[in-house]
Amino acid sequence: MRSLGPIVCLVLTAGIAPARAGDAAPATIESELIASGRTIYQQHCAACHGARGEGAPEWRQRDAHGELPAPPHDAQGHAWRHSDTMLYRMIMEGWRDLFNKTGRLTMPGFAGSLAPQEIHSVIAYLKTLWTPEQRLFQREESHRQSLQPAAR
Amino acid sequence: MTAMLQRQVGIFFALIATFMATSAAAGAAEKIVALTFDRETNTLFMARAHELYRSKGEDWGWTKIALPPGVQGNAIAAMAAPAKRTGVLYLAGPGFGVLRSSDDGRNWVARNDGLPSGDIVALAAHADQPDTLYAYIPGKGIFRSEDAGAHWKWMDNGPREGIGQFIHSNMPGSMQTGWLLVATPKGVRRSMDCFCLWQDAGELAAPVNAVSYDPREPRNVYAATAKGFFLSTDGGEQWTRLSAPTSRITAFAVSPAGAVYAGTADGGLYRSVDQVKSWERIGA
Repeated sequence: MRSLGPIVCLVLTAGIAPARAGDAAPATIESELIASGRTIYQQHCAACHGARGEGAPEWRQRDAHGELPAPPHDAQGHAWRHSDTMLYRMIMEGWRDLFNKTGRLTMPGFAGSLAPQEIHSVIAYLKTLWTPEQRLFQREESHRQSLQPAAR
Repeated sequence: MTAMLQRQVGIFFALIATFMATSAAAGAAEKIVALTFDRETNTLFMARAHELYRSKGEDWGWTKIALPPGVQGNAIAAMAAPAKRTGVLYLAGPGFGVLRSSDDGRNWVARNDGLPSGDIVALAAHADQPDTLYAYIPGKGIFRSEDAGAHWKWMDNGPREGIGQFIHSNMPGSMQTGWLLVATPKGVRRSMDCFCLWQDAGELAAPVNAVSYDPREPRNVYAATAKGFFLSTDGGEQWTRLSAPTSRITAFAVSPAGAVYAGTADGGLYRSVDQVKSWERIGA
């Protein structure tokens, strides 16, 4: 998985039904979600974005093919700037840099290989790679976007 | 003796004031620092450091807009007219921050909540969202407001070269809602409005005074540089040099119909209606 980034567990778990007697505690659900996301990330994303989300070297510069290398997903990257909705859409559909010099997607879509819940779990994991300030920023962006018409 | 001196000083300043007023009326104008179109009403706004005018339609009957007390003594640095908001105009400049008028400039309200200082040097309105604005403060970064300037939020440090002027574009292909095109001392820089990555827009490699785009075709980007006036038809990858008025262009705007209006360092205003093959000087 190339490009794009994270989301915060707090936001994700906000969409989960309130715990009832006998249900797993929210903290347990979060940790399971993150653990699942970490595993999926290593299987599908790490090859391009790095095992620890460190991204490709020189990711800010186009490579010899005129394509942008995979950016980091940790605090050095920009995934934390995107809302949950946007991150989900990019992982699902992929994305092509407007100035890409090839006809390929800059980041492939994973709609055919990851289930929606798996994408949510990857996003939950990515949020663990950010700073508290970045998580707060991203949470606000997610809330903001939920109040607006669909992004372009 | 003292009274006589005071009288002479008073006469001196009165003469200076009279000279300045006469000079302004005769057209010895300050440089044009900002031009912007209200696309809803086809009104062109023109700002000099200490003067603001508007012209509706294309008759070039300029109406001077009185500046609010907060601006007097400071210099206007930037101006923006939002999309889909008739009669709304924003002014910005070091010392007074952001001012908003919703009645064609008759009344102004300060809109600075959340900004670390009022030292704004660049201001841009979102191409499509009427209440979204971007402001740049050197050393502090780019701030965004989504409620017509009532509240501001830090978004990014901006390109390391700093920002002289910028504009929001609805060129397709953004991860979010559009792009920011930035005039810097080293060329045009470009970022999606998620502020993911600042990139060089081509290789102008020259100080850029102003950048804008054709609203009919946002991939057509114009740049006024120290080397001349340039057009890119691919969103800022390749640039072609165009003709330019004799004076240095300090600000320009593209009308809804695609005409380019350029203000110059000597205060002149020019228009091109033929894809910048030629220019005509118009009243200003």
